[in-house]
Amino acid sequence: MTFLSSVFGGPWCIAVYTYREGIRRKLLIGFLILSLFVIFGSSFISSFLDPSAETDIDLKLIKDICVTAIAIFGALITVYISASVVPAEMETKVIYTVLSKPVRRVQYLLGKFLGIQLIILVNLLLMGGLFFIALYMRQGIMPTLLLWSIFLTYFEFLIISAFTFAVSCAATSPLVPTLGGLFIYITANLTEYLKDVEHRAGQTGQFFDNLIGKIASALYSILPNLQNFSIKMQIVNGQPNDPPTDVLIPWLVLYSLVYALAGFACAYLVFRRKEV
Amino acid sequence: MTTVIRTTALNKIYEGAFRGQDVHALKDLDLDIRQGEIFGYLGPNGSGKTTTIKMLLGLLFPTSGKIEILGSESIDSATVKRNIGYLPEGAYYPDFLRGEEILAYYGKLYGLRGKELKKRVDETIELVGMQHARKRLLRGYSKGMRQRIGLAQALISDPKILILDEPTTGLDPIARKEIRDLLLQLREQGITLLISSHELLEVEMISDRVAILFEGVLQKIGSMAELLTQRELSMTVDHLSESSVSDLTDKGIQVEDRTGNRAVLRLPFYMSSYDGVEMCKAHSLNLLSISPRRETLEELFVRIVSTASKAREVVQ
Repeated sequence: MTFLSSVFGGPWCIAVYTYREGIRRKLLIGFLILSLFVIFGSSFISSFLDPSAETDIDLKLIKDICVTAIAIFGALITVYISASVVPAEMETKVIYTVLSKPVRRVQYLLGKFLGIQLIILVNLLLMGGLFFIALYMRQGIMPTLLLWSIFLTYFEFLIISAFTFAVSCAATSPLVPTLGGLFIYITANLTEYLKDVEHRAGQTGQFFDNLIGKIASALYSILPNLQNFSIKMQIVNGQPNDPPTDVLIPWLVLYSLVYALAGFACAYLVFRRKEV
Repeated sequence: MTTVIRTTALNKIYEGAFRGQDVHALKDLDLDIRQGEIFGYLGPNGSGKTTTIKMLLGLLFPTSGKIEILGSESIDSATVKRNIGYLPEGAYYPDFLRGEEILAYYGKLYGLRGKELKKRVDETIELVGMQHARKRLLRGYSKGMRQRIGLAQALISDPKILILDEPTTGLDPIARKEIRDLLLQLREQGITLLISSHELLEVEMISDRVAILFEGVLQKIGSMAELLTQRELSMTVDHLSESSVSDLTDKGIQVEDRTGNRAVLRLPFYMSSYDGVEMCKAHSLNLLSISPRRETLEELFVRIVSTASKAREVVQ
């Protein structure tokens, strides 16, 4: 118990502090309000649909808008908070007061990373919770599929967060890691296209063609595929209490944890000898 | 007296992006700071003071040389860090926390928990005189109160060494005096204080020893008594004429506080009182008073920095 508290006591304390400070950021609150506005507004938009159209089309539209809003605003919140926490502490010199205490750099990073995860989780639960209540009130069926979707979305954000955090540990301002995080989010959502590039590039047999094919193949193997975490089509078209199909949840959780661990290891390697 | 901080041939080079852009911030620094003293660490901006402090705290890594704190070379160890408190210059403390909450946060980073933590928070808040505002949010604190809380977070673990970077900058005279009195009180308790500051008058008032740094090179180190022993003579004279003023100035004598024919003359340190009297006779001056005058730390600082600066220009 004493060993655990000496190793994890510091990181947990830093995590709680990071969370308490992070949730007060104006930009983050702005993203959250905007996303809640979109979730509310989706019902309003659906009222303009042609009443003679397909039954349940309004419900499909609401689901589509809400799932997309959660994914986009959630990703923006994830990138913003993961990119800014460490550079902000360097800017305000708070990092000096923390690292001059008996806190190892790995403990500091662990605390910051845990704090970021708490912020992401709370935001995701707020957005998802509101959508969950709205859907339940509309359909009268417990939308358990949505809970699975929120669960998987968190593990998708965990990957983005870990790599954005690693970039932020090398930076002195939040700008570069924010751009890096958005790049990671977009690229990791387009991984499927790399497979296409690999197939098409190998057809002519020319040197550069082959080279592009090999690069695409290597990137496909290295980059995470965030599309694996999406069950949006099933939410929109399926029954709200269906179990998730076409996804192997334990495998996706493991997949996410491995990538998050790799991202955190990169962050530590960068930060280990960083001069602050 | 036991040495608590020792640096031996300490060097720090900041590597530039291209060859030739490297900055040699600290050159072969040998320092020894003794237990229970207030050590003033002085130098103009960019002289390497903060670099030294950051290396002592493990925030920067030396290019070469050795650092020993409390007899240990592993300055990153928890045992060493537990005995060091640090107040950085202009640090930010979050507005949404109360005074006692911020101290509890830093206390937890030292591994303090439960009753022990509460006891230390109470003691430290009392020590810095912030009992009345302990439950107030930091957004309602004045600059002086924030500095006291900063000092309290540095003291929360009851450290043996306290490192302070510009502890009184930006404070009003009353707050400065209160901080100064507090630092003297901490010295009485046996805490070693390393103070980096541009407030030379304050440093002179409280320091036991000082070191002056210029462009990464240690120029002078010693006790106040050792460094400020050069005594100059100050003479008040009457019947001073214009021709005498130019003649005296040529001899290196400074003419100050001139009112009509009366003025105060500051003799260079190599002139004795006998020389002064002879000079008065030679210029037919009426000598009203003569008194010894000790060089201030500010004057010593300016003299050392100007000399070092001129020497650098000659080398270049």
